Amino acid sequence: MGSYRSIRFRRSRRKRTELELQLTSMLDVLVIILVFLLKSYSTSTNNFTTLPGMKLPISGSQDIPPDSLHLIITPEGMTFESNRIVEFDLGAGALGASEKDAQYALKSADLAEDGRQIKPLYEALVKAKDRAELLRAKSKARDADGKPLPFDGILAIQADKRVHYDTIRKIMYTGATAGFKVFRLLALKRET
Amino acid sequence: MLKRPSSRRRSAPSEVSINLVPMLDALVTLIGFLLFSMSFLSLVSVETPMPQDSPEQVQQKILEKPLQLTVSLRDKETEIWSPFGRIKPQTLPHSADGMPDTAAIHSALIEIKKQFLGENKVVLVPTGATSYDILVSVMDSLRNIDPTDPPVFKRNEETGNDEPVKTLFPEVIFGNLLGEG
Repeated sequence: MGSYRSIRFRRSRRKRTELELQLTSMLDVLVIILVFLLKSYSTSTNNFTTLPGMKLPISGSQDIPPDSLHLIITPEGMTFESNRIVEFDLGAGALGASEKDAQYALKSADLAEDGRQIKPLYEALVKAKDRAELLRAKSKARDADGKPLPFDGILAIQADKRVHYDTIRKIMYTGATAGFKVFRLLALKRET
Repeated sequence: MLKRPSSRRRSAPSEVSINLVPMLDALVTLIGFLLFSMSFLSLVSVETPMPQDSPEQVQQKILEKPLQLTVSLRDKETEIWSPFGRIKPQTLPHSADGMPDTAAIHSALIEIKKQFLGENKVVLVPTGATSYDILVSVMDSLRNIDPTDPPVFKRNEETGNDEPVKTLFPEVIFGNLLGEG
């Protein structure tokens, strides 16, 4: 009985049409996606991120910023290396107020040197500089004279496009007093 | 009975099918890798150094009288001038929306670049109320030469050929970091 069944099934199996998945069209789609991704692929050597709700200006510059110390300025405050260091005096620009009301006003307690320097930022920058110099001293990398590599003194500033130059100026002055020599103003790349 | 040779040739050829599955696997892996390592936030930077002039350098400048091209943004106009009188000062009114006319500034600077081909520095003096957005767009107009701009050529001393200048005044320095404005 069993052998009879097996012969019957073998016959029926032989008759069954093979079901083949048509992969060509799927392959076409994947190749198109791959070409698109390769065309728009850009790698960057930095870890810069942005914050939700932040509007960056657009620039035609082609300079990709390498990784460096990073300061973010939002309507609420300043964030240096992922730590909130300064809270703005929100005033009319408090929660619920319109975008135009954003003040970026610094609290008088946070200011020094006739309002030119931002104290919490200065402390954070000096600490970061000391840490960077310590790491360079411990590193095996040396310059031609056998000394530790000098501190590069670069600060990347990523600001909301509504921030006034007055605030940027205070940041740059504070950076200069803390030993920073070059400032990189970050912006979104203009699509060409 | 034997088949005729012609009918033998007409018999159905065996179908050759390429195995697409490994190729599909490779493509899916590649797409996954590209999506994972792609940077969707395309950031660029506009670099500005801190002005570092010592009293000796200032004295030297007074003697040499360099161009020291200066662009001052005011409430209603933009002035392009040189503190040592090397160029004729130009005043460009803001556009209708009250913003600096970056196109006019750019055109004026191209003309200045043609006169001072070796100059790379420009001093920018914005007002305290200038927004970061305007600052970046003005800096762009000071630094870059666009493909649509009239070409500016500079003689290469080594080859003796005239070569197109690729940047306008790439070193933008803020002139009023200490002062009010």
